[in-house]
Amino acid sequence: MIRTKVLIIIVIFMFLFLVFGLLNLIGLQGNKFKDLSNNNCIRLTPQLGCRGKILDRNGEVIVDSRISYDLAVMPSGSVQLENTFAAISKLINKDVKDLRKSFNYGYFSPSVPVTVARNINLSKVIAIEQIRSDYQGIVIQPTPVRNYPYSSLGSHFLGYVNEIDRWRLTKLKDYGYKTKDIVGFGGVEEKYDYYLRQEQGGLSVEVDHRGRFVRLLGFKPPRNGKDIQLTINLKIQKIAESSLGERKGCVVIINPNTGEILAMASSPDFDPSLFVNRSGSGISNLFSNSSAPLMNRAISATYPAGSIFKVVVSTAALETKKINQNTSFLCQGSAIIGRSQFKCWNTHGMQNLIGGLTHSCNVFFYKTGLLTGALNIHDYAIKLGFGHNTSFELPYEVPGFIPSPIWRKINKFQNWFDGDTANLSIGQGDVAVTPIQVVRMMSVFANKGYLVTPYIVKNIDGRDISKYQTRIEKLNLKISNIELIRQGLRRVVSEPTGTGNVLSSLPVSIAGKTGTAQAPPGQPHAWFVGFFPYEKPKFAICVLLDHGGPGYYSCLVGKQIIDQMSKEGLI
Amino acid sequence: MRNSFLTILIVALIIASLGILSIYSSNYEKEGDTWRTIYQRQILWVILGLVFFVLISNLNYRRFWDWTYFLYGAAVFFLLLVYILGAVRLGAQRWLRIGWFNFQPSEFAKIALVIFLAKYFSRKSIDDINLLSGKFGIFRGIVLPLIFIGIPVVLIVEQPDLGSALMILILFMAFLYITQVKLRYIVVLLAISLLPLPFMWHFLRDYQKERLLVFLNPNIDPLGAGYTIIQSKIAIGSGGLFGKGWLAGTQSQLHFLPESHTDFIFATFAEEWGFLGSLGLLFLYFLIIRQGFYIAQRTHDAFGSLLAFGISLMLCIQIFINISMNLGLAPVVGLPLPLMSYGGSSVFITFVALGILVNIDRTRAVF
Repeated sequence: MIRTKVLIIIVIFMFLFLVFGLLNLIGLQGNKFKDLSNNNCIRLTPQLGCRGKILDRNGEVIVDSRISYDLAVMPSGSVQLENTFAAISKLINKDVKDLRKSFNYGYFSPSVPVTVARNINLSKVIAIEQIRSDYQGIVIQPTPVRNYPYSSLGSHFLGYVNEIDRWRLTKLKDYGYKTKDIVGFGGVEEKYDYYLRQEQGGLSVEVDHRGRFVRLLGFKPPRNGKDIQLTINLKIQKIAESSLGERKGCVVIINPNTGEILAMASSPDFDPSLFVNRSGSGISNLFSNSSAPLMNRAISATYPAGSIFKVVVSTAALETKKINQNTSFLCQGSAIIGRSQFKCWNTHGMQNLIGGLTHSCNVFFYKTGLLTGALNIHDYAIKLGFGHNTSFELPYEVPGFIPSPIWRKINKFQNWFDGDTANLSIGQGDVAVTPIQVVRMMSVFANKGYLVTPYIVKNIDGRDISKYQTRIEKLNLKISNIELIRQGLRRVVSEPTGTGNVLSSLPVSIAGKTGTAQAPPGQPHAWFVGFFPYEKPKFAICVLLDHGGPGYYSCLVGKQIIDQMSKEGLI
Repeated sequence: MRNSFLTILIVALIIASLGILSIYSSNYEKEGDTWRTIYQRQILWVILGLVFFVLISNLNYRRFWDWTYFLYGAAVFFLLLVYILGAVRLGAQRWLRIGWFNFQPSEFAKIALVIFLAKYFSRKSIDDINLLSGKFGIFRGIVLPLIFIGIPVVLIVEQPDLGSALMILILFMAFLYITQVKLRYIVVLLAISLLPLPFMWHFLRDYQKERLLVFLNPNIDPLGAGYTIIQSKIAIGSGGLFGKGWLAGTQSQLHFLPESHTDFIFATFAEEWGFLGSLGLLFLYFLIIRQGFYIAQRTHDAFGSLLAFGISLMLCIQIFINISMNLGLAPVVGLPLPLMSYGGSSVFITFVALGILVNIDRTRAVF
């Protein structure tokens, strides 16, 4: 019975065929079909929360959120899609081509609606709602977006929000960040993004073959981001920004006793709402602008210190006992150091320390500096917070630089000459400081010997975090030396011949130091750094005008700010 | 021999129970009591089938030899009745309404034709112990039985029930092969039936053409004719090794899979019971068919042996076509999975056929 045997073998092969068919579907293509099965019956509907608000120290809103109505289209058949585009384009005055382009750009998967137009005003939303039943796949998505009631106010310390970029995504993936998440860039938005960001909630729903709701698989309510209260005083910030005006530069005002930043203005600034509205040309202008509007000059830019560095030299000289309050040098308009002549900006005659500070006499400090030695000056500059980050919390702070003979020897194989020490003594040469370092240094003299750490966030979600922020370091400077320098700083303003005398007309007693930092080519940088009221300082201020001319101009800006502050009763 | 009786009974009962579980599961979420209680009707049919299984297993199968022409006549009569009623009511129909249940004559025709073929090919001349079929010429070997088969097949195609017709034709080929009809005749028949296939295309109905095209590429019409096959593949493929669990299959529960309790019950089953469950089911079917083949080989009576072969092959071909179709390896032709699919006639006839099988094994000792 050969034929029977053949038949039995055929039957066995038929069953093996079925087993291989099963293996193919389940074993080889199982994962694909599993996904397809889930796509079939599970629909995810995201629900967005609001990003946390940013408040000033008195609880006034600086940044909050508003609802933006976005128009999205559900991918479906191409013919229907074209009809839908045609209908939408009439209503929102947008070209069909643009719509199609943004649709193709944003397409993700067949079950995810694609946003084609953002921020539609309410009347158009209503018009679109009316045609929704006639055309397939139109979805209006209310999305919370950033709202900036003061437009560019404080844009640098706030930062902006935008879609996450590739670099941040790779870094933050493990913390639950996903593609197309909105995250902060720069400033508080970036640093505290983890607290500010909303937690997306959503429904996971099982549907049947007609897309009808079967049951709720899971629901996670969206959570709003945590509110952050800053140490910024909105009124002072406004005054600082308006006084700075169109000039390139920055103003930093801190509380010298605690390190709280009360105002931090940098100019030119930018309007963060450009990123919310996705204005392409506006954003590319920001990035291509040569005066770098996105840069926070208070922490991310370094400048030569100029004459304000004389405060550091004075401290170093007094502390190392190279000079005392009676040590005097004769200023004849210039001094010969090594083989070259170093100029003073005027002829001051006999000058002691207080006189040297008051008149910002270069010759006095050349000689003091040579007595003290470059290494001592370097060490005290480091001690007073230069040459390294201030531990300020916002990102992109730069450390600046203080040169020293050892550094020169090791890194450049060059010798250090007395001329270099002279240059260092008046804050020129390789000295690079940031405005926030300068105002921090000035705080040491305002609070008599304590190095504060500047900080900008006061509390998060109602929890006071200043106790984690504040790290005040006692510098162990002799109180008599501090008093001496304080007197000198006061005289800068109070003496009629002082460089900052223009500020003496104000109703508050101010102490400070001006600086004209040479930065060829172009105008010098104008510095003014000081604190007020002199007796019980509540504010330390630093004004820098980027290539803004002599220090006098900074004094004028400072005067305008302090004047306005006292008028508004803020002091 | 009690042995084969018990084996077949137990295996068939397990398969039928799995079928009832799957039917229950596939209609569990549907609205309406008629859908939800459909499994109860299946239970009734299985019980009825079991009763007849026991009865027929005690009925000497030689009686069918005597009743062959009567059964054949009855099958043709019922098919004609369906055809005429369908014509009168201006709508195609596959079943007759008898009392509270629907009777599907094509199911009855299957078993009747198996009996007919077994008798036709097991005739002997008076003076020879060998079968006549080895000496059949082309007329008596092929043309004559083809005419007998052709009448009911044409009526079944008319219903239209392409699956059953196809199954009967394949079964006929298998019969020719096993009854020692000369191989060249079979080749000729194959050639004759395959050659006009391209011309047959024009005689197919639109939906049948669609199904064939969709079988070649289901994605040409994912929401229309290809929908069923795509959903069936998704259901089986997403089951994984252990399945999604009984009553937890999303494809069938949420109605993504059409016909989930009839022709595509295997997909429903595979989704919920997974690869291992499906493998087990195939093994159970294989056990029954192997039992059938053993019985056929043990039986010395030519009629009994052919009948046993015929019944086993009938089940085997139906299982093969149905599961291939579920796996997307065969075009979608309406053919139930024996013992699993919902449908009284199919379950009943399958149990009757198994009863005959058991009786052949029991009676052969007599000869």
